[in-house]
Amino acid sequence: MAAPVAPVDGVLAALAARKRWRLHHIAGAAALIAFLLWCADGVNLRPRELAGALPLIGEYFYRMAPPKWEFSEVLWKPALETIYIALWGNVIAIVIGLPLGVLAASNVTRSAPLRAAAKALLNLQRSISEMIWAVFFVAAVGLGPFPGALALGVNFGGILGRLYAEALENIDPGPVEALAATGASRLQVILYAMFPQALPQFVTYNLYWFEVGVRSATVLGMVGAGGIGFELVTTIRLFEWRETGVVLLLILAMVTLIDLASTWIRARIY
Amino acid sequence: MMVPAGHAVEPSLSIRGLSKTYAGGVQALNNVNINVAPGEFLVILGPSGAGKSTLLRCVNRLVEPSAGEIFHNGAKITGRRRGLRAIRRQFGMVFQQFNLVKRLSVLTNVLTGRLAYRSIWRSLVYSFPEADKCIAIECLARVNMDHKAFQRADTLSGGEQQRVAIARALAQQPKVILADEPVASLDPKIARQVLSYLREAAQELGITVLCNLHQVEYAREFAERVVGMSHGSVVFEGSSLELTDDILHRIYYREPGEEEKEEA
Amino acid sequence: MSAATFEAAVANALALESERRMRRATRAAVWAVAVVAVLWFTAAQIGLNPAALVKGVPFMVDFFSRMFPPDLSHLLLLGRATVETVQIAVWGTLIAVMLSIPFALLGARNTTPHPLVFHATRLFLNALRAINELVFALIFVAAVGLGPFAGVLAIALHATGMLAKFCAEEVEGADRGPIEAMQATGAGRMQVILFGIVPQVIPAFVSYSVYRFDVSIRAATILGLVGAGGLGFSLIKTMKLFKYHETATCILVIFLLVFVSDWICARMRSRIL
Repeated sequence: MAAPVAPVDGVLAALAARKRWRLHHIAGAAALIAFLLWCADGVNLRPRELAGALPLIGEYFYRMAPPKWEFSEVLWKPALETIYIALWGNVIAIVIGLPLGVLAASNVTRSAPLRAAAKALLNLQRSISEMIWAVFFVAAVGLGPFPGALALGVNFGGILGRLYAEALENIDPGPVEALAATGASRLQVILYAMFPQALPQFVTYNLYWFEVGVRSATVLGMVGAGGIGFELVTTIRLFEWRETGVVLLLILAMVTLIDLASTWIRARIY
Repeated sequence: MMVPAGHAVEPSLSIRGLSKTYAGGVQALNNVNINVAPGEFLVILGPSGAGKSTLLRCVNRLVEPSAGEIFHNGAKITGRRRGLRAIRRQFGMVFQQFNLVKRLSVLTNVLTGRLAYRSIWRSLVYSFPEADKCIAIECLARVNMDHKAFQRADTLSGGEQQRVAIARALAQQPKVILADEPVASLDPKIARQVLSYLREAAQELGITVLCNLHQVEYAREFAERVVGMSHGSVVFEGSSLELTDDILHRIYYREPGEEEKEEA
Repeated sequence: MSAATFEAAVANALALESERRMRRATRAAVWAVAVVAVLWFTAAQIGLNPAALVKGVPFMVDFFSRMFPPDLSHLLLLGRATVETVQIAVWGTLIAVMLSIPFALLGARNTTPHPLVFHATRLFLNALRAINELVFALIFVAAVGLGPFAGVLAIALHATGMLAKFCAEEVEGADRGPIEAMQATGAGRMQVILFGIVPQVIPAFVSYSVYRFDVSIRAATILGLVGAGGLGFSLIKTMKLFKYHETATCILVIFLLVFVSDWICARMRSRIL
């Protein structure tokens, strides 16, 4: 700087320089807007369509009122079945996910190829949605809730396995070193220093994915894999909107109850 | 200076020409030679980064030395991978951060000191034999923590946690305890208490102690013999009474390479 | 301390320990029985048995063998559906981000204009969260017809519930210090929200939005099952026509799409936080 400038002027000038839009900013913003417009065009999202759609959707929800409460008598069994599917889906997910998660955790498994294999398997299970797994298992073992539980188990096993591995990797390494120093074997160190530390995380994840499982299980019925989804699809296909309303309210009640229950349990485990 | 108690009898621990260079090229230890007499309470004094921690970890092979040998009661304990568990079992370790498994009870934490003696099958169901429980409780009583045996470890204060950690090391029925900055995270009153428990238990059971410290006052108070370390080398060896200002300056403020000049 | 005192301490603690062990063993046994009973009962209810699984294995093998090898010539036809899947996720998430900001402010205890508004908003958001995208898609397909438009709306609604609840909790957890400092300067309510709260929650909100986009991609791959656009439509169509080699290609593309999106989103999030 040649001439002495008052400090305020200097700061203001610096601010102005920061604010000035560079060419690449403008180009970036234009590209982003163009991309979004292209996406909107691809999915038929136009202001006029949207304006037309909203009243239509409102009308369909309006048709659901008043809910036809008598229908709930038919729904008890599929509603409970939904929860059973979620429960067993979680059990199967633990059975699949725990060993794979342990194998995928870098501080537990030393062998890099073994770790990579476990991770690849977890990724495969995770990336393919439970609905696609359900289609597959329905083809394999027939219609019903059983393939639904298997589908949830395989997909959630992949998700939980990865979360287990992360929980194990994030534990405090101090006690692990301390137990190794006593001469304890590798497996003993895992059992006595690693698992106790990661256990609360494991339980939290399982509770959360049980909630998610209930929500997912409500739609498995669409592909014939059991639960309340079958009734939901049927009422919608038959335009029995007042019955649909009852199904939706029941799902809402179910998920809310389980949400409350798991919050209650979670507060108790630490 | 080189005629301490250790020379009359065979040393419990003999460290010869020990060097360690880490993968990143940092040299933590440079040709360290130390003899430790059986039952001795040896303090290794030095600033942080002097290589004290690496030295202790080389003894129980949490760190593999790059060169040199360590003998325990005349038997070589470096080099072979076989029998590592049996070697580690003889060395109890106490850490700066206590390193208890926080969600387990105090008693179970002490019992983990017995794991190396037991088969994996029994450990699988989190069960210990009665004899191990007796040993664990006695060790807890030695550090006066038996009244809190069933509390979870994370409910204890720092000083109490370190006492439990000492009990865990004692439960191994070790020949040697390696204490790595055991009181660096504790306030002075609690620190003295913890060091007293450690010294008392070791004396009664005839355990040799190698204790890393960076505070001179504790070294003066508790050490029978002091080894001063600086930049990975031993720069002093003698009784704590010999710790003059000049020597302390050599331990704490020496620049790397100065030693050679002094000796020249 | 003498050896005698140790003996007393050991005997005392051992007695306590065995008492505790008995109590714990009893409790564990009760729990084990309860858990086994629940699992047994529910397994029977949903017809879950290993025999069926074993019997199903040949069918699964058969299914796989019919899918193999994937018909890669079908890959070209899937380009359009893949692009559509991404487009659905982009706009579904974008609409959700825009909608969730006002809902989050209405549904956070410290920014809501009235407790009644707070409870109403939370109830509404819970409803959006409880109902799966596919359920919304099913209703919207009936309302606005087949196609990706219904899918966008479905994803937008469900994601709004998720994002807004997350953001509301972030707003409630915002550090009180800067807010009080703003109030002390005499700033108005809106100003406190804009300058005291919003800057605190933006990084977490952006990061969660990116995560939500990843989840939306995953969801968009199956919207086609109910006719709401994307790759799922090709999947179900080829399956119903028994063109399993093409189904395999669809699954392959879905796997790759989700894998790539997962990788990109994870990198973006680690850069934000």
